[in-house]
Amino acid sequence: MDRNKRILIVDDDPDFAAAIGKILTSAHYEVEKAGSLQAGMKAIEARTPDLILLDVMMEKYDDGFNMCYDLKHDARYKHIPVIIITAVTEVTGLKFSPETDGEYLQAEGYLRKPINAEVLLKKIASLV
Amino acid sequence: MSQGECILIIDDEQVLLEGCRQVLEEKGYVTATADNGERGLQLIRELNPDLVLVDLKMPGKSGMEVLQEIESTHPNLVKIVITGYSTVSLAVEAMKKGADDFIPKPFTDDELSMTVEKGLKKRRLILEREALMKEQELIRRNMISLVSHEMRAPLAATIQYLEVILGGMAGDVSQEAKEMIERCVVRLREMLELFGRWLKLATYDPQKSAERFTAVPLTDMAAKVLEMRKPDAQEMKVHLSLEAPQDLPPVMGSRGALEEVLDNLVANAIKYNRQGGWVKVRLLERNQEILVEVADNGIGIPPEHLPRIFDEFYRVDGRRNAPIKGAGLGLAIVKKLVETHGGTIAAESRVGEGSLFRISLPKPQQTKAERTGGWKPV
Repeated sequence: MDRNKRILIVDDDPDFAAAIGKILTSAHYEVEKAGSLQAGMKAIEARTPDLILLDVMMEKYDDGFNMCYDLKHDARYKHIPVIIITAVTEVTGLKFSPETDGEYLQAEGYLRKPINAEVLLKKIASLV
Repeated sequence: MSQGECILIIDDEQVLLEGCRQVLEEKGYVTATADNGERGLQLIRELNPDLVLVDLKMPGKSGMEVLQEIESTHPNLVKIVITGYSTVSLAVEAMKKGADDFIPKPFTDDELSMTVEKGLKKRRLILEREALMKEQELIRRNMISLVSHEMRAPLAATIQYLEVILGGMAGDVSQEAKEMIERCVVRLREMLELFGRWLKLATYDPQKSAERFTAVPLTDMAAKVLEMRKPDAQEMKVHLSLEAPQDLPPVMGSRGALEEVLDNLVANAIKYNRQGGWVKVRLLERNQEILVEVADNGIGIPPEHLPRIFDEFYRVDGRRNAPIKGAGLGLAIVKKLVETHGGTIAAESRVGEGSLFRISLPKPQQTKAERTGGWKPV
């Protein structure tokens, strides 16, 4: 396991971020947390992470989507793998479905909350 | 007491038009006039008035025709017909065709004002009701996003913590504590599942779904559903069987939705069964319909509950104590999905003997010859 890989968690639910953070530190990743998209962008600009876990159901429904889109269309950041985490499933019919929005989102992975620790670690290991 | 409401008068008599206009404008209403039916209809489209006065006797497009057209394009517009004294029967006919009131000629200024005010009262009630319904829809939508985010997020976070603890990432956990936490996770996941189901029901858009209908081969689908439910059936020691004719035509529908329907019924039939019981799925063609039957010889449904089993959140009481979980949403979803396929669902049951659920779906417009000639699902 690479000890120096840094992962940024962007999620407005501090408890969820703390729980996920625990899983990551237990696997020897360095973890940084941002409670908002603005804080997330600031953190990325200050120090480019090796991977971003991004919640797409933050303050407004489309914020996380826009952030992912911006990152993937920015030459400085588009190489950073992004894993979308969401409590939304395709059945809610609200906004998000990997099948129809995947192209727009261009994230490297999609995981549904709550996330199985093993699945998360495997996914991250395959991307960093 | 006018609120800037707009009244349109359609009459071929200039004198009457002018007279009405003056009376109503004095009362503070905004008015518009048209001296024939065509022009009247045009003004309705342009001005969207609150009330319209229509003379029944006009050259060209008759008042009755105007009335009928308004009724179909602007059902919430209040319509008052102007009739001659000698033509009360015409007024009655107009009321049948959707007019809200009538005023016989000749009428006084007061009679006109009173009739118009009465009509506008109705209009205000209609608009109020519309606004209420809009608000209700808004509340429903907000409720959906509330459930989807505000309620799911804390659940997800809680489960996430528990998973971390269970994974030993927060230190050692005793075996007893571990078992309890595992139960917590199971219960909370059930709750998440319930929210998911509720959302599915609340956000299901039948129109959108119908646009994507394809030909669904029911026999294949049923075989797959039974295969998927085999482990549950084996656990309950329930025997599953499928009976379907070779040449059963496919139905037009959403495969996913129909699978969900059948899976729900089969899952119920297994759940509310007995050791050594059976569940039979039967597909058959009858006249213009395709029938899907799910029969079991399980515990059955008491007659007093039978009429309500398709209601949302309804659960047969006696089963609360049974070791069976469920939110009481499955059959409500099933019914909704069946109806979007233009079908119906009914249930028969006897306590202690079993239940029979029968779905009737419309048969696609295909002749038997065409089918045997090689019908392939699209």
